[in-house]
Amino acid sequence: MLNLTDCGLPIRDDLLAAHAHAWDSMSKAGTWLTAKRRVAVAAEARQARTCAFCQLQKEALTPNSVTGTHTSVGLLADGEVEAVHRIVSDPGRLSETWYGSIIERGITPEEYIEIAGLVAIIVMADTFVFGIGVEETPLPSPQAGAPSNYHSPGSRKEAAWVPITEPEDVVESDGTLYPSNKVGYIHRALSAVPETKRDYWRMAEAHYLPGGSVYDFAADARAISRPQIEVIAARVSALHQCLY
Amino acid sequence: MLRESSNLRAINVNLAEVAHADGMSNDNDICAAELLSRFAESVVKRELDECTHLRARIISELGEEAFVDVAATAAAFHGFVRVADSTGIPHSTAGGGQDSSKLQREIGIDQFYAAELRDRG
Repeated sequence: MLNLTDCGLPIRDDLLAAHAHAWDSMSKAGTWLTAKRRVAVAAEARQARTCAFCQLQKEALTPNSVTGTHTSVGLLADGEVEAVHRIVSDPGRLSETWYGSIIERGITPEEYIEIAGLVAIIVMADTFVFGIGVEETPLPSPQAGAPSNYHSPGSRKEAAWVPITEPEDVVESDGTLYPSNKVGYIHRALSAVPETKRDYWRMAEAHYLPGGSVYDFAADARAISRPQIEVIAARVSALHQCLY
Repeated sequence: MLRESSNLRAINVNLAEVAHADGMSNDNDICAAELLSRFAESVVKRELDECTHLRARIISELGEEAFVDVAATAAAFHGFVRVADSTGIPHSTAGGGQDSSKLQREIGIDQFYAAELRDRG
């Protein structure tokens, strides 16, 4: 089976670069997770697609009405496995109570944010290659190094389940977090872990639209029209039961 | 976003079809809406044969560059939904806060599981 670079389709350079950056970043220590743990999150995200318990939960009227154990690759703690599998398999039925249960199992909110960001990145990468019809990129080997443990000083838990660094609370050590102060909550969601937010948005903008084009509904930044883009976006979101 | 981009171009689109079991139809003024909607669904459900079939159709009807952006958009929203739903950001602010409860009823997304949970889940 062909891979992304030799499939013969005219894949944009920024898309290829975003994928390459994502895998490279995943192979290195993050803000709160070691490289080994980051790659393990990616492996677990792939594993979740074939997890029988995830399927059982997804088919149940409510996810808590069934009991069982996730089929795991065995590299992460139980709470991390639960977080990864549920975010992959049934994101539309997560709740603040569920999030609280993950935190009670010893995962810090910042670790959770990094895990959620990594899951979103690998799901995006793997979904793209599935759609294109090429093989999945092999997971990278973890590199040596320690997490930075950078805490964004302005982050606070207020608007969402997770802490957020609002645009007005960004400090120099956070690095560039927002293109402007007028951004939607989807842009703020991962902001308490700035490196994760940047990694995620590099992928998101390459796949969806460049940052400056999102609210310019008259422009066509891609080879399909903006309404065509939004048909796909809306259908994917609806099938995931995503209200946002 | 679909509503805004359609309104701006004076395009007729039945937003309610987004959440219908059959997805979008070609009764809308958006070129290849049904095909794009079906492709999106095949990717969400990871239906290999259907995805392969629709990939060939999209390339034939819209071209290779367009197909790459179709697949990229579908992938992007697999990420967006996970970020939005795993962090509990307030969905009442989605679409710049323009997604009124009336509109949500019309589209049918008020029937989604998370709608019962309201903003804080």
